[in-house]
Formats: sequence, structure tokens, C-alpha cells
Amino acid sequence: MSDQQYEPERALAGTGTGGTMDLGVGEAEALERVPDGTAGTEPRGKPRSLWSDAWRDLRRNPVFLVSALVICFLVLISLWPSAITSGSPLKCDLAKAQEGPQPGHPFGFDGQGCDVYTRTVYGARTSVAVGVLATLGVAVLGSVLGALAGFFGGVWDSVLSRVTDVFFAIPVVLGGLVLLSVITSNTVWPVIGFIVLLGWPQISRIARGSVITVRQNDYVQAARALGASPSRLLLRHIAPNAVAPVIVVATIALGTYIALEATLSYLGVGLKPPSVSWGIDISAASPYIRNAPHALLWPSGALAITVLAFIMLGDAVRDALDPKLR
Amino acid sequence: MLLEVRDLHVEFRTRDGIAKAVDGVDFAVDAGETLAVLGESGSGKSVTAQAVMGILDTPPGRITGGEVLFQGRDLLKLKEEERRRIRGAEMAMIFQDALSSLNPVLSVGDQLGEMFVVHRGMSRKDARARAVELMDRVRIPAARERVGQYPHQFSGGMRQRIMIAMALALEPALIIADEPTTALDVTVQAQVMELLAELRREYRMGLVLITHDLGVVADVADRIAVMYAGRIVESAPVHDLYKAPAHPYTRGLLDSIPRLDLKGRELCAIKGLPPNLTAVPPGCAFHPRCPMARDVCRTDVPPLYEVTGTDAARRSACHFWRECLDG
Amino acid sequence: MGSYVVRRLLQMIPVFVGATLLIFLMVNVMGDPIAGLCGERRCDPATAARLRAEFGLDEPVWRQYLTYMGNVFTGDFGTAFNGQEVTELMATAFPVTVRLTLIAILFEIVVGVTLGVVTGLRRGRPVDTGVLLFTLVVISVPTFVTGLLLQLLLGVKWGWIRPSVSSAAPFDELILPGLVLASVSLAYVTRLTRTSIAENRRSDYVRTAVAKGLPRRRVITRHLLRNSLIPVVTFIGADIGFLMGGAIVTERIFNIHGVGYQLYQGILRQNTQTVVGFVTVLVLVFLVANLVVDLLYAVLDPRIRYV
Repeated sequence: MSDQQYEPERALAGTGTGGTMDLGVGEAEALERVPDGTAGTEPRGKPRSLWSDAWRDLRRNPVFLVSALVICFLVLISLWPSAITSGSPLKCDLAKAQEGPQPGHPFGFDGQGCDVYTRTVYGARTSVAVGVLATLGVAVLGSVLGALAGFFGGVWDSVLSRVTDVFFAIPVVLGGLVLLSVITSNTVWPVIGFIVLLGWPQISRIARGSVITVRQNDYVQAARALGASPSRLLLRHIAPNAVAPVIVVATIALGTYIALEATLSYLGVGLKPPSVSWGIDISAASPYIRNAPHALLWPSGALAITVLAFIMLGDAVRDALDPKLR
Repeated sequence: MLLEVRDLHVEFRTRDGIAKAVDGVDFAVDAGETLAVLGESGSGKSVTAQAVMGILDTPPGRITGGEVLFQGRDLLKLKEEERRRIRGAEMAMIFQDALSSLNPVLSVGDQLGEMFVVHRGMSRKDARARAVELMDRVRIPAARERVGQYPHQFSGGMRQRIMIAMALALEPALIIADEPTTALDVTVQAQVMELLAELRREYRMGLVLITHDLGVVADVADRIAVMYAGRIVESAPVHDLYKAPAHPYTRGLLDSIPRLDLKGRELCAIKGLPPNLTAVPPGCAFHPRCPMARDVCRTDVPPLYEVTGTDAARRSACHFWRECLDG
Repeated sequence: MGSYVVRRLLQMIPVFVGATLLIFLMVNVMGDPIAGLCGERRCDPATAARLRAEFGLDEPVWRQYLTYMGNVFTGDFGTAFNGQEVTELMATAFPVTVRLTLIAILFEIVVGVTLGVVTGLRRGRPVDTGVLLFTLVVISVPTFVTGLLLQLLLGVKWGWIRPSVSSAAPFDELILPGLVLASVSLAYVTRLTRTSIAENRRSDYVRTAVAKGLPRRRVITRHLLRNSLIPVVTFIGADIGFLMGGAIVTERIFNIHGVGYQLYQGILRQNTQTVVGFVTVLVLVFLVANLVVDLLYAVLDPRIRYV
């Protein structure tokens, strides 16, 4: 009981996002349990692997397709924002401050007279960069530490458990404020570093649990009995079968990290102007909320859709990989 | 007749299509009689019981036809509120796994007493007293002390006794027991079965005993109905059926029981697997596994023939029941 | 039970020390603790040195931490930038945030559980899909965006509420901020309740309850809800700590002078004492809330016995 599992995203509750708990929107209601084992016991076709099965499910899942499409679009415009904008996000004309939409400027202007459309497009780059890089860092650090603790157990496992407890006890936004408020660098790296620092325990718990579950499987015991070395066991037998939950949680976490960056930037400690970030724009627009709500709504909408896309993607992948739902 | 089921059909919606879990089942139980419904898992015996009891999950399940006459009334035509008053009071059910079938967070006293509170309008205090009596009745030692305990604090056999007590609470006319002893140790199985048979005699109840265990059946049942792929394939008085089965499936079941007197002989298991209910084979559903199958079995669904030539009322759904009976 | 509580309390110590030490290090090592003490200007070297000696900042960090914690346990949280005692700040800030958290929890219980029960019982129906989609959106939109949008709509456009909260922060002014603070957790509670109800609805003991001939209402309230709400109750309990720590964003949007506001001020002005003091209390609240949740589990679920 002392090891009660909290939902991993609760670690990021303060950012206002998260979610691994049954998010299944598109879940098939047809998979009802049939009493008395009426479902076919007849062997049907050759067995498929978890991954090809999951992929087959995903291709037919509209939630997955829509979110994947949105994410592809986001990635493309973060790589080549000039493909759909001609202006520069930093070219502003104070004379046009707070003006509404007009030809060539479909989203209007913000409080500084910058084009909201251009800034919203360029904002995607920051969000995607922070999200992807932070997730990579968290996933690598977290799963390595978690897998080692789960595999070797003993003292290291206890130490890791206590350390993750410590990190979970610190409110994330608060930690961000304290740590990032003193940093003057104006790149994405401090934010990424901070997210990795506070995010890895979440993944490490998942990886640890998953490795422990897989480690107890018969085929791993068999491989061990046949004299496989620990590194071979971990890499060839355990890791491939323990990686699914990590991928799912990491995908959903990616969305929450984007939200976290925006939240920190909104509070003034994430990225700072002249960087372009949705959080900065939302923060800058909030004083003019009465006169120029469009300057608030467009970046907010973009942010919400981006986070939603990643969370729904993770959700769809989770549904596809979760054998319990089959 | 206490309970008469006529041409009952139940379907399930699954991801692979419609599964005909129960496909035209007839049987009858009289007061004081014990009918054993025998079959492998997936044969539709539990679904039949749930349909009779009115606790089928709908959806995915759906009763598509038939009648369930209980004391002359067709239950399927009653309103849910009327059925509810019958459930528990006039017909009760005993489930297989008492640990999961009892509410883990309510004391057994609360769960037993609930029957009296809901159906008889008793006060909680009186109901608690009746709960203790019931526990005494099913021979749970130290009932008064244990009435406030939770299901997980009892052993498997004791939990099943509590389930039996719950079913007996309002002295129903019919009890349906769905694999009541399957989850128990063999020694405990016998005790629980004995208790159930004894109480049934005492209260002169009808008992429908659903099981896949031929060994359980022999001692307590009066009649047996064997189910396969949603149909009854043979029904007969228990001793006649044991002596000479009139269906190759029943024969297969009997042959697969290890017997001491035939030690050393190879056990005859029925080859193959039960059919997928979304795609039941045409003709006789058993033909792919049947050692006696001929061409007609692959095309014509056998009706439930009346087995003549014996004194007992017997039926068999085999085109060649005569050959089968002769061995 | 008693020995379990003692063991849990002992286990809390390293977590408490670790979390507070981490924050202490972040504030002291990363920042410049005396930078905030001379107002807007930089301190001149002589004053800086004097202040360092006065606050014991020339000592090694571990000793500073021990001194600080020693003071904290005698009730001395130090002084804030304006010469106010940190405990005084706490006395004004915590009641506000506690009120805010209470409202948020209330929303979670009333709205979240109700929605969860309704959708759990109607799985696959339009109302279920609708609510599920809505919760997904709520979870995806960061709190600060939700807050700003609701403030824009309800406060500015329709004028239903005051866009910002007065410094007294009475309950009625905190309703909208409470909803904003609760929003994400509320969506979680809805989903958790839904999943739990839907799972338990198919359980054997619910089938038994139906077979006993209990009225539907009794089956749901006495058998289904009681079991399904165990994880929900514990989630909400554990949420108290998260909500108080997460109130920083909500309090900033609605200009509420609670814990988050004081922390934010403390961080901006690099006031070590305020920040570490408040965080210490928050960590304690978090740990105690989790302990209470674990104990609550045993009360709600008789199967759990602590040894």
C-alpha cells in the first residue's frame, strides 16, 4: 500500500494538463464480454505480433488519424514556417497595435502591433522543439534508470523509489518558477533541462513497473535458466516487451510538456521575449483581453489543439497496445 | 410444472458477429426435482440460467425468442419490477465464485440481511438476527461472532455456504446453481454439494444444477440435460444416461472420465474444440468431432428425437441415436 | 495500524528532507539570496558582506539548511522582503488558498463524480461520448488558457462575475477561480469514476445484487457506488496537495492574494525565506494528504489491512 500508484501525469498536475487514465474516446463498444466463453475458441489465422496488431487497429482509428495529421502539419510548419507565412514574427508596427483582422493579416495584430498569424505559426516551432527534445531526454533518462532499478532491484531500487518520491512532492510549476527565474539565457535549453530534471521520475516509475512485470514472465525465467547474461536478458528479452507503456506515457507526456512550457512562459520564467512562444503571446495579450481578444484566442487555440493532438495520439496508441481491450 | 423453458433463443453481439449462445432450448423442472444441465464452457448453459433468472447483460445479450414459464407465468412477458420481486424471493441463484460474487466491502451479515430488508421490509436489526439464523442453518460455526465479518475473511467453502444461505433466505421455490462447487477443493466440494442437496430436500425446492462435472451430477441429479453449442443434445434420467448414452457427445463425455475400474486403458478424449458460436457448423453442430458422423450429419440439423424402447422419457438430438444407444 | 502509521511517518522524513533540501538548494545556490534585500539596486560589497554574515550565508549550505529547519520547527520561518514575518504572510495567504482548494474539491466531488456515474452507467451512448470528448478537451487545454478564456467570457463579455478577486477573497468570488483550478482534476475524476463504474458494473457481485432482486437504485447506490468510489475518494484526497501547489497559475489570473501569489512575489524578489517557507508547508501538506489517503483506503476497503 505504501507504494500506491498515482497517475503519472499527476506529477504535472499544476500545468493543467495530463492524462493516461482511460482516455478512450473512440473505444469500441462492441468488445463486450461474452459470458461462458462464447467468444470463439477456434484458432483463427496465424498469431500476429502486438505491434502489427496495434498498427492495424491504429490505421482504422479516426482519433489516431486526425491527431497524427495535426501533428504532421505542426512538425512541417515548425521546420518550414516560411512556407505558409511571408512576414517575420519580430517585425512589428506599434501603429497597428490591437487592430483586428485585415487583408494579409487574417488574425489581426497584438498589443505590440505584431502580426498574430505569423507569430502563431512561428510559435509552433518552440512548442514542438521543447516537446520533442524534453520527451526524448525524459524518456532516455527515465527508462534507463527505471529499467535498471526494476531489473536489479535491491538497494538501487529503494533509493530510486525514494528519489522519485522526493520529486513528486515538489509542485512542478513551483519548481519551474524557482529554478528558471534565476536563469537569464534566452534559449529553449533551460526549459528543456528543467522538464527533464523534473519529468524523468514519471517515466522511470513506468519503466520500472513494466520491467518488473516482464521480468517475471516465464520466457525470461527460461532465458535466465539457460544462462543468458543480465545485459542480454535486459536488452533482448525484457526491453522490447517493456517498452510499450513507456512509449504511450511519453507520447501523452509530450503534450503536457508543451503545455508546461507555455505555462512557464506565461508566468514569465520560461522563454522570454524576443523568443516566440504561444505562452509569451498569451501572457502579453492578457492585459488587452477587452480590446483585442483575438490576440489571446489564436495562440490559445493553437496551443490547445497541439496539446490535444499529442494527448489523443498517446491515447489511441495506448488503446491499440493495451491487450486488455482486445 | 415449476419451471418450463420452451424454445429459448439468446444471441450475443460480438466483434466477430452474432453468436447464438442459446439456440432453441427446452427443459422443465418440477418442484422437488433436480435437473442437471451439463456442458462444456461455451455451450450456453450459464447463459440459459441467466436468461431464466433475468440477469442477462443486455446488451450485448438479447433474448430473441421462447418462453420461460415459472409457476405458469411467462417471465419474459413480465415487467422488470415484477421480475425483480420474483428474483431472490421465489427463484434464487448460486454463483460459481463466491469470493467475487459477494460484495467485498459489505459484511456478510449485511448482504444476507439485505434480502429480508428489501423483500420483507424488515428492520436492519431483525434482518441481522435472521442472517445469523441462516448462517447457522448452513452450518457456519460461530455464526453470531462472524456475522459482521467480510467475505475475504472466510474460507472458500464457508463463502459458498454464505452464497447458499443467501439463496435460501426467502425459501424460494427454485434455485439455480451455476457451477456451485467448481471453485472449491474436492473435499469441500462434496460437503457443499451434500448441504445443497439436503436443504433442497428439506424445503422441497426445484434445483437446476449447472455444471461441466459429470462426477458432481451422478449423486444429486434426477435428470440430466446435456448442452452442446447452444442446444440440448440429450436429456434423460440420470441413471439411464450413465448406463447407455443416446448421443455420441454424451458418450464422449462419459468416456473421458478417468475410472478406477478401467485403469490402464487409454482415456478417450473428445477430439477437436467446441465450435465458435458465431460460425456453428452446418447440420449437426457436433459432426466435426463426432466419430459416428455420416453425410447426413453434415447437412441436416437433427431434431430432438424421442428415444423409444426404454421405459424412461428420453430425448436425443442424434440422427443415429439407436446405434449410439446400442454402443 | 499504529505501527503502520509510525512507519509511514518515518518514511515521510527522507522525502520531506529531500524535497525541502532540493528547493533550498535551488533558491540559495542558483539565486542570490541577498539580491532582493537591497531593493531595486545592487547591494554594495560591504553591505552584501554584512548581510551575508548576518544571515549566516557565509556558512556551508548544509549548515544553513540545518539552521533554517531548526528555526522552522520552532515556528520561526524568518522575515519576508518587506520586514513582515513569513508566518504573518502565511496567516493571510493560506486561508485564501484553502478556501480556493475547498471550492475546487467540491466541484470535483459534485460535478466530477456525478458526470462519471452518469457516463459510466451509459457507456457508449451519446452522452458518454460527449462528456468523454469534453473531458479530453479540458485536460488538453492548459489551466491558464481555461482561466483566461472563462475570465474573458464570464467576467468581461457577459459581466457575470468580477474579473478579479478582492483581497478579502470571500467564498462567492472564488467560485469561478475554484472551477478553473479544479478543471483538470475534475476531468480526471469524471474519467476515473466512469472507468471504475463501468468496470464494477460488470462485476460478479453486482450481478449477485441483481439476482437478489434488489431494486436498481439500491444496486447502484449500495453495491456499485460504494466499491467504485474507493479509487475516486483516494484520488481526490491526494489532489488536495496538488491543488494547493498548482494554485499559483489560477491565483495569478484572478489576482488572488493566496499562497501562489506570495510565492510568485517571493520568487520575483528572490526572497529566500518566503519561498522556502511556503514550499516547506506545501510539501508537508502534500505528504500528510497522501498519508491520510492511504489510511482512508483501509477505512473504505475492509480487504486492506496494514501490518
